[in-house]
Amino acid sequence: MEKMSGYAFVAAMLSTGLATIAYLAYAISGLRAARMQTAGMPMNTGTLGFVSGRYTPAIGRYATMLGWLATLALLAGLIFRAIATKHGPFANMYEFSLAFAFGVLVTYMVFERRYHQRILALVALPVAAAMMAYASTIPSTIEPLVPALQNNLLLTVHVAVAIVAYGSFAIAFAASLLYLLQGRWALVAGGMLVLGILGAPTGLLLSGGNITGLLGGLLGGGLLGGLLGYAAHWAGLGKSFEGEASGRWGLPKPQVLDEIGYRAVVVGYPFLTLTIILGAVWADTAWGTYWSWDPKETASLVTWLIYGTYLHARVVRGWRGDRAAWLLVLGFVATLFTYFGNLFFGGLHSYSGLG
Amino acid sequence: MVQEAGTPPLETASVPAAGAMDRVDNVLERLWHLLTSMRVAMIIMLLIAVMGVIGSLVIQMPTGVGDDPQARIDWLNGIRPRFSLFAAQTDIMNSLQLFEVFNSFVFRILIALLTVSLIACSLHRIPGLIRTATKPRVDVGAPFFQHAPQHETIVARQTAADAQALVTGVLKRRGYRTLSAEDETIHVYGDRWRWMQFSGLIGHLSLVVIMAGAIIGGVAGYRDQDFSIAEGATRVVGTNEGLSVKLTDFTVTYDQITDSPSDYASSVILMKNGTEIDRHVVRVNDPLRYGDLTFYQASYGSAAQMTIKDAGGKLLTSEGVPFSWQLNDGKRSLGILSVPGTNYTLWVIGTGGNADTRVRPGQVEVQAFNNSGASSNTPIDDKVLDQGKAATVAGMAITFDRESQYTRLTVARDPGVMLVWLGSLLLFVGFALRFMLPHKRVWGRITTRSSGAIVSMATLAQKDAAISTDFEDLVNDIRTALQAPVQA
Ligand code: HEM
Repeated sequence: MEKMSGYAFVAAMLSTGLATIAYLAYAISGLRAARMQTAGMPMNTGTLGFVSGRYTPAIGRYATMLGWLATLALLAGLIFRAIATKHGPFANMYEFSLAFAFGVLVTYMVFERRYHQRILALVALPVAAAMMAYASTIPSTIEPLVPALQNNLLLTVHVAVAIVAYGSFAIAFAASLLYLLQGRWALVAGGMLVLGILGAPTGLLLSGGNITGLLGGLLGGGLLGGLLGYAAHWAGLGKSFEGEASGRWGLPKPQVLDEIGYRAVVVGYPFLTLTIILGAVWADTAWGTYWSWDPKETASLVTWLIYGTYLHARVVRGWRGDRAAWLLVLGFVATLFTYFGNLFFGGLHSYSGLG
Repeated sequence: MVQEAGTPPLETASVPAAGAMDRVDNVLERLWHLLTSMRVAMIIMLLIAVMGVIGSLVIQMPTGVGDDPQARIDWLNGIRPRFSLFAAQTDIMNSLQLFEVFNSFVFRILIALLTVSLIACSLHRIPGLIRTATKPRVDVGAPFFQHAPQHETIVARQTAADAQALVTGVLKRRGYRTLSAEDETIHVYGDRWRWMQFSGLIGHLSLVVIMAGAIIGGVAGYRDQDFSIAEGATRVVGTNEGLSVKLTDFTVTYDQITDSPSDYASSVILMKNGTEIDRHVVRVNDPLRYGDLTFYQASYGSAAQMTIKDAGGKLLTSEGVPFSWQLNDGKRSLGILSVPGTNYTLWVIGTGGNADTRVRPGQVEVQAFNNSGASSNTPIDDKVLDQGKAATVAGMAITFDRESQYTRLTVARDPGVMLVWLGSLLLFVGFALRFMLPHKRVWGRITTRSSGAIVSMATLAQKDAAISTDFEDLVNDIRTALQAPVQA
């Protein structure tokens, strides 16, 4: 069973990689069509503002199939592993990272079905792929549960609920990035995205496979890219695209992305709430205290407060739009910190076998 | 005009100089606006989040250390080397309460502000919510049907009354409650899940319930996180209820392959005024409960089994002394025992390992202190004992029998915990319902024209750029109903 789950994970990683390439091809094909349309050629413009070329829909369908394949392979891998370990995917970072990746994949696929915005995959799938890549660098041995983790059902539910929340927040993050990419912050966000994505593997390499290196590279690269982008914006390279009716560069309309971000948070927020509550119940039975300001607990509370603020931002004038989208980016950074928290801070949650 | 819930409060008009009472009123009014402002609430939430970030990045004092001045100084000295960018860094951080963020003055103020704001907001919203649920405005005026976020107009062949019947029929089929009013035009109102507006309110107020529970737990609760007992020893619970706990056995089970602990089991006997009332094997996830008092497995360690007799050979005590402290050298462990029936406190110091030349493995050092003596800080006697050989320390015959184990339990009583769980339940259910069953309202206006009627529909819900909204579906249904062939 353990072997089979290993094979399934490899299959999932491969198909996620292929799916990412297919989605990229889909996006480029759409972008090309958009170019040609601006150049005056007739093209099909979808109701949602996405322009498509001749092969675009076919590429999109293949991408979707590969996406589902990756999701199912990962699910199979998780199930095989659960059978082998006789517990849910919560005993170490390896299991939990794969569960996180699954959460991102499955929420993305569900959102794609509902909103038909394949472009989101360009952010969501790399997040899932990064999680799987990270999992493949850490030990996957099955170890007996330490006593505090022997409360099976509660923990399984705790983690299952958490990955839905994290997956939804990843989608909201993808939507907000694509939103910001089109606004006057395009250069800043673009710079952050590009240098952040480049910085993460660099950091991982430089630190010899250390997660702190990965996040350091991500944050450092993102910061640098943001600064460069801002400098470029300041130098007059970018202009404000706000208020335009259709999306830029073949991307979905900003309003569509705003809406998807909100829908994703509406799903994720109650699940995060439940995650925190179940965590408190577990802490109370295991350690006799439902809240101890353990760094991981604190980080989850911070995340919860940021998304709570976001939900308010959506209805307050002056906070809608740009600022709300930034809250989603911030929220996802907090989500990652919550998730990787025990690697930085230690504390009660440092059971993961790596802390 | 119908006001959307959550729109920011109107600016208070500046009141011309008036009497003192008016000024007080004015101040109170401004305060009320601040407390019910969503902008202010968002800023408070983000500030609390910032405190959270600081609190998880900067090392925090363990609970209890802050209340004990000496423990605080020791703890600060312990971390000083880590915060030595400049000389006074640790002390400045200490006075800014950065090592106790969640007990800090600023944090408490923020939580208090949030609580007051939550209550104010809720009170502020209740009348409006009740009004929309029980006495909604049916006639909203013609301009609304041109300015609402979503609005549609359908030309119908039917008479106004027939069109009205069809419109309300569609609304009812979709689960709406409908109300109508009639003057020269017909006004239709439909809503769904009108009581679900209150679930958002419950979600917000549940946070107040949780905080009340936390405060009650903090004020009226009891907590001893360092309830260490060695095997064979009995320890009195500090709640002054005559309770004591005896540890008969402590077992750690190790996994055979990985050698990591897989189970900690403390077999304990709970006694009240000396008589046994319960026996339990305390494990992680399986605490001992007595009334509202709970004993949790926290950790364990080694202990020294000591036998102590007085000068006449009478047994004073024979018990395990937990090595639950550490000497400042960071190597030797320390157990503290106050000898029953005497004024003496013994420090039992374990070996620092093979490199320790003073206390070798298999030995303990015993320092005796006189509690009532003038210089209770310096030992009156100090000897290193070999295992199994009695020696005389401060006039007592003391034997280090063998090494054993101790368990550390957490003893807790939290009268606020039920409120916390109740609040948590309401929090989850409240917001989940609010999102799953959102309150929906539509208005219709039906006017007669020469050969039929004009049906206008409108809602306050925003248009959704991504998918078709309920309103659009609803209007489609109504259009279909109105265009169906009229029966002969
Ligand atoms: C930690 C504190 C808070 C949390 C977690 C929180 C959470 C939420 C959530 C999840 C919603 C969306 C659900 C709904 O629409 O009912 C919401 C809406 C709302 N909140 Fe809060 N809230 C908090 C504090 C406050 C405070 C202090 C105020 C008062 C100023 C406030 C006022 C509102 C209002 C008026 C809405 C309705 C917005 C609308 O029209 O949809 N909230 N809140």
